[in-house]
Amino acid sequence: MEPLWVTFLKALVLCLVLLGAFAYMTLIERRILGRMQHRYGPNRTGPLGLLQPIADALKSVFKEDITVTNADKVIYVVAPMISIIFALSAFGAIPGGPAGSLFGLDPWIIDLEIGVLYILAVTSVGVYGIFLGGWASNSKYALLGSMRSSAQIISYELGLGLSVLSVIMIAGTLNLREIVEVNVWSVSPWLWLPLLVAFGAFVVSAIAEVNRTPFDLPEAEQEIVAGYMTEYSSIKWALYQMAEYVNMMTVSAFISTLFLGGYRGPTFLEPWIPGISEWPIIWLVAKMAIFMFLFIWLRATLPRLRYDQLMRFGWLYLFEVALGATLLTGAVIAFVL
Amino acid sequence: MVTFVIMAVFSVVGALGVILLRQPIHAALSLVGTLLSVAVLFVTLQAHFLAAIQVIVYAGAIMVLFLFVIMLLNIEEQRRPVMPALRWAAYALGLVAAAGLIAGALLDPRQAPDAAVVRETLQGGNAELIAEVLFGEFMLAFQLVSVLLLTGLVGAVALVQRGPPPGGATRADATRADATRADAARADAAGQRSGGRPPDALEAGGR
Repeated sequence: MEPLWVTFLKALVLCLVLLGAFAYMTLIERRILGRMQHRYGPNRTGPLGLLQPIADALKSVFKEDITVTNADKVIYVVAPMISIIFALSAFGAIPGGPAGSLFGLDPWIIDLEIGVLYILAVTSVGVYGIFLGGWASNSKYALLGSMRSSAQIISYELGLGLSVLSVIMIAGTLNLREIVEVNVWSVSPWLWLPLLVAFGAFVVSAIAEVNRTPFDLPEAEQEIVAGYMTEYSSIKWALYQMAEYVNMMTVSAFISTLFLGGYRGPTFLEPWIPGISEWPIIWLVAKMAIFMFLFIWLRATLPRLRYDQLMRFGWLYLFEVALGATLLTGAVIAFVL
Repeated sequence: MVTFVIMAVFSVVGALGVILLRQPIHAALSLVGTLLSVAVLFVTLQAHFLAAIQVIVYAGAIMVLFLFVIMLLNIEEQRRPVMPALRWAAYALGLVAAAGLIAGALLDPRQAPDAAVVRETLQGGNAELIAEVLFGEFMLAFQLVSVLLLTGLVGAVALVQRGPPPGGATRADATRADATRADAARADAAGQRSGGRPPDALEAGGR
């Protein structure tokens, strides 16, 4: 056990890193979207547009902070905070490297026996931010957005939970660090290959959980302005943006940890650079980058689902596929292995 | 101990908020606060698994559904006229129930185990221990509760049925209807084909 102040300091650093990453993810996303749509994207502010996030941050802070007259004042202010607080806390359980690898420190904030459940629990409470923000704004578009989001998140949480079960059954533990270590399994070092179906179901539900295209109905700008964020401006709006991107990063790290061996690096590089597969953080970040790019790629490629399609897909296909994958994994563990 | 006192106060205040706040959404949020405080109490007992399940199931799923329904029905602050006699009867019943609970707690000869003992028994609240008890000793109760919940679910679906959409539903209708309703309608149509009785008759027969 490390002293409490070390943990506290690590948590602070993690928050700052996540928020910095958020700022530059917006730039990366806009540049990639620009490239995919045959335009430049933001490239005027500083070299390659690198100062754009700073300009955006300043703009968000100094814009007028409007509170709707008929809003439920307390909840209207608290809702974005709920979003960002729970988004940031969820990341703390993700292990970034082997024990003691970060200059003698453990590269995680908390090592919980129930790490998987912790992340699911914290993210499921984060929904309240979206949900209450939309309600407290006292506006029809915002309310529609928050209703959509709650229905969507409840529906896709089932697929998410069920596809995690396969991993838990094989690893035999809920501890994220042990799941990463268990990945040295006789069949494959990466769990996504033997669990391809569960992996697919998990990625799809994860995209729905973070409200990204094609599941971004809660903020469908062509139909309901900006959904739950319609009445928010200035720093409160920025908090929602932060929460969305931090959630994307958490989900990418969660997928990498469960299915892609988390912080473990490629061992075939060991002969040239000894110890490279044990380096903390970088391998996790590299794996996260794959999924972050996937999210952006999907946003540039896919149209948005209609609401009934969303519900039908979640309940009639994704749920059944995830359930089938779970049963199959269970049967294989029980009768074959 | 400090955490316990703070969280106990939070959970009681939250519980009072549920019944005292006028705005239904505030009442529901107050219940969320209570549930989260209880989850923190579980954490102080090192029962991490229970805490996580408490948050996922109650705060993450059930309460979101509650709020969803409240928003869907758009219940505003409404005060229905209550019969005074009924109100006093309710107060009396509530008092009796509370007195019974307190008396039961005070008169129970069993000693509450020490927090350290509980911590020891729960062993960090790992899932395996709970699974052994749940699927071993309490298997029958577990199955019965599952059946009970399923009955409630089926009952709820049966209650909201209003018969299949007339003939060819318009395209707009189909677009608007969500999957659950479409499902319900389909199940309904299937039931009609096999049973040959309209759902209203079924419902009436059930009562």
